[in-house]
Amino acid sequence: MSRLLEIDDLRVTFRTRYGEVTALDSVSLHVDAGETLGIVGESGCGKSITALSVMGLIPQPPGRIAGGAIRLQGEDIVGASPARLQALRGAEVAMIFQEPMTSLNPVFTIGSQIAEAIMLHQNVGADQAFKDAIALLDRVGIPSPDRRAHDYPHQLSGGMRQRVMIAMAVSCRPKVLIADEPTTALDVTVQAQIFDLLNEIQRDFGAAIVLITHDMGAISEMADRVAVMYAGRVIEEASADDVLDFPQHPYARGLIDCIPALGRPDHRLAEIPGVVPPLHLLGAGCAFAQRCAHRNDRCDREKPSLVNHGRHPVACHGAEESRL
Amino acid sequence: MTAPLLDVRDLTVRFALPKPSLFAPRPHLEAVRQVSFRLDAGKAFGIVGESGSGKTTTAMAAIRLTRASGGQVLLDGEDLLQLDDEAMRGKRRDVQLIFQDPYSSLNPRARVVDIVREPMDLMEIGTPQDRLDRVRELFELVGLRPDQLNLFPHQFSGGQRQRISIARALTTNPKLLVCDEPVSALDVAIQAQILNLLADLKDRLGLSYLFISHDLGVVRHVCDHVAVMYLGKIVESGPTDALFEAPQHPYTQALLAAAPSLARRKSRGYVRPLKVSGDPPSPINPPPGCAFAERCPRAGDICRSTPPELARSGAVDIACHFPGPPEV
Amino acid sequence: MDSQPTQPQIAAQSPAREAWIMFRRNVPAVIGVILLVLIVGATLYGSLFYQGDAFSIVWAPHEPPGVTPEFPLGTDYLGRDIVAGLLTGGGPTLAVGLAAAAITMVIGVSFGALAGFYGGWVDNLLMRITEFFQVLPALLFAMVLVTLFSPSLFTIAMAIGVVSWPQTARLTRAEFMKIRELEYVTAARAIGARNRRIIWTVILPNAAPPLIVSATLTIGVAILFEAGLSFLGLGDPNVMSWGLMIGANREYILDAWWPVTFPGLAIFFTVFAVSLIGDGLNDAFNPKLRER
Repeated sequence: MSRLLEIDDLRVTFRTRYGEVTALDSVSLHVDAGETLGIVGESGCGKSITALSVMGLIPQPPGRIAGGAIRLQGEDIVGASPARLQALRGAEVAMIFQEPMTSLNPVFTIGSQIAEAIMLHQNVGADQAFKDAIALLDRVGIPSPDRRAHDYPHQLSGGMRQRVMIAMAVSCRPKVLIADEPTTALDVTVQAQIFDLLNEIQRDFGAAIVLITHDMGAISEMADRVAVMYAGRVIEEASADDVLDFPQHPYARGLIDCIPALGRPDHRLAEIPGVVPPLHLLGAGCAFAQRCAHRNDRCDREKPSLVNHGRHPVACHGAEESRL
Repeated sequence: MTAPLLDVRDLTVRFALPKPSLFAPRPHLEAVRQVSFRLDAGKAFGIVGESGSGKTTTAMAAIRLTRASGGQVLLDGEDLLQLDDEAMRGKRRDVQLIFQDPYSSLNPRARVVDIVREPMDLMEIGTPQDRLDRVRELFELVGLRPDQLNLFPHQFSGGQRQRISIARALTTNPKLLVCDEPVSALDVAIQAQILNLLADLKDRLGLSYLFISHDLGVVRHVCDHVAVMYLGKIVESGPTDALFEAPQHPYTQALLAAAPSLARRKSRGYVRPLKVSGDPPSPINPPPGCAFAERCPRAGDICRSTPPELARSGAVDIACHFPGPPEV
Repeated sequence: MDSQPTQPQIAAQSPAREAWIMFRRNVPAVIGVILLVLIVGATLYGSLFYQGDAFSIVWAPHEPPGVTPEFPLGTDYLGRDIVAGLLTGGGPTLAVGLAAAAITMVIGVSFGALAGFYGGWVDNLLMRITEFFQVLPALLFAMVLVTLFSPSLFTIAMAIGVVSWPQTARLTRAEFMKIRELEYVTAARAIGARNRRIIWTVILPNAAPPLIVSATLTIGVAILFEAGLSFLGLGDPNVMSWGLMIGANREYILDAWWPVTFPGLAIFFTVFAVSLIGDGLNDAFNPKLRER
């Protein structure tokens, strides 16, 4: 049986003024129906590029998919025609963006924007589409949806706008829903509402969700499985419990330990020193080596690959040699 | 009891809005409504709240970067709101500020050495050589290298820029440092670096922080005392441990329930115990009673008609008609 | 501690010197400088190498260029030497352009900066004044001014400056309103900077790029404006300028293209050189472009 979404050895490069850099390097991921995959990492780790690749939205040029495959229900969409990608986007795979204000068109009512998304992929009339749009607004928890459908985006709060974005994204019942930092711009109580809504939608529609975030707390609440990314590579992948309770990679451990927790008494936070290296300065060795307390010569020479050294797959020489 | 470093009493900030029509009365927005709190020297006081709660406006009005329309702000017993502009300029060396956005808070056209030195230039402290020595000392204190002195802000990462911002704030040896969401624009790994730096500086220099944040984990980590704001008012205030371990106000409880935490696992079937729906009401026409009543699971009739007063309940001050632990 | 290994080190030098180093790397800007130096040099020192009076009739009218070696670019409708006209007319043309642009910038930036920084009634008042000048038909107003105060180079420059500053004022105001909301302006207030310092040393340098470009464009517009006034007979009749040459010869353009084309090209190259330099200055003073 083939997976719902499978990314296989994906390599994406970008032309920059420093020459061609590798933004994604042998990334392999998959997600099944009804499952939530969390992709976590700092800015610049490649998590958004992964999402855009799946949507067929990598700007080309300067970007280029240099190798690998992205299979959606068995169909490789790398190199698919723009028309085919257009048909898949929205219908089979949809995306929710970080900033709900700039992702909605300010000059159309939210009802008509959702209706348009519906008509793009389904053979229904304008009246029916608008009725469906109101039903969707109701489904995502917008009060008095028949009235709100006539509102413009600026009349809604940030949380409401993100609900509208979700309504639009699920309007054609996509199999895969990609949420790229969907709550970063929102307040905590609203973030909690959006998380709860995404979980409900998943239960109702059986969609697979790919949640992209920098927040291990969000991973804990939302994800079944986690991929930790660093400098364009997946460095650890396992069930959420496994990663959160037994992180193998020093970077994953750092991300978990550096969060100031709600219930923890006052003590010094764990630090990950330094910053993510720019992609054009990645050398032959492990990209994390410069910031790692456990590095040795081998880390500088040789890139570790994602291998299971006992517990779950991790790309770390230290884990392999059990010297962490 | 010793006098506090900062004593804010009934601080109120009102913004004029455009008139809806030529003859209509000018509407006002009360962003901060009779907020009072005290900050002792060497301590950190946190204000948490969501966007629109008035937490940043409170801090800005307290140090006169936003005009207050009422109340008192006593710094070492002297009311900052009563000072004339020149006297206030002199006081600025005692109260400094760190901003949220490390990208817009540094002048892109100035070298970082000039940015950090500027407060001394303005206040005419020391000789040029003294000033340069002080900048070098500050660079070391916040973890920057002296060979970076002559660079421009865009040549630094977000975390480094925040260090520059901190160095600038420390130039004049202030007593009070206002930190407005100092880590919320940074990546988590960098957040920890800056939070640790702030903790070190507080210990080494005996600084006091007025710390604004929406992130409860950060506030818990940094602050000794916390106030929770909602729609321009403090709804609960108390020592950090008491407030986090036994919150009395339903809004504080909702905030804590909403904050993502590693202890809450989807895999273990975690369902949020306390949910609040909807958004905060508009500050232009605040409801007559408790501002949280519309979203509150416990609200009764009195909540919609009478605003609750802030009153002592155990270890905390709370403004609620029905305080107590959450009902499960 | 953070370490950022990528940044090239820039040696500590005075900002002006560093800007000059940056400017030198900008090929179009250097071309602009060379072009302008040639043009200015020719107008200042051309008479040392090329004898000839721009006003005297020296040959038959409408002598085409390249026919008589004595008059390489030919003669105009009165039989005056065009090369002499170009060399003599360049100085006044450039002077009027520069003076008018300077007047425009001084008035426009002051109005715009104060209106944009203070807002409220100051903004209202200054902008109403600006609009008053903006709705006046510029050429007509300049004509009135020049007629009232006898046409001399100074009054012409004044007239052009007075009709062109509103655009600069609006541009400056928009930039100031945008920048005054940024946190580094609040940061300057937090360390006790006075308004005057914030306006001139914090906001203005950051608002400068579009203003520098606008100033260079104003020089070009002023040169053309001067040509227009001269064409209408409102130029200073005692001073040769490129505008005067175009104005005087325009009627005969179908019979003789050269008396209009050569001063036209001179104006074109001058404006072009100034724009290249303006772009180069803009980039040179922008620290963000330094390491490229």
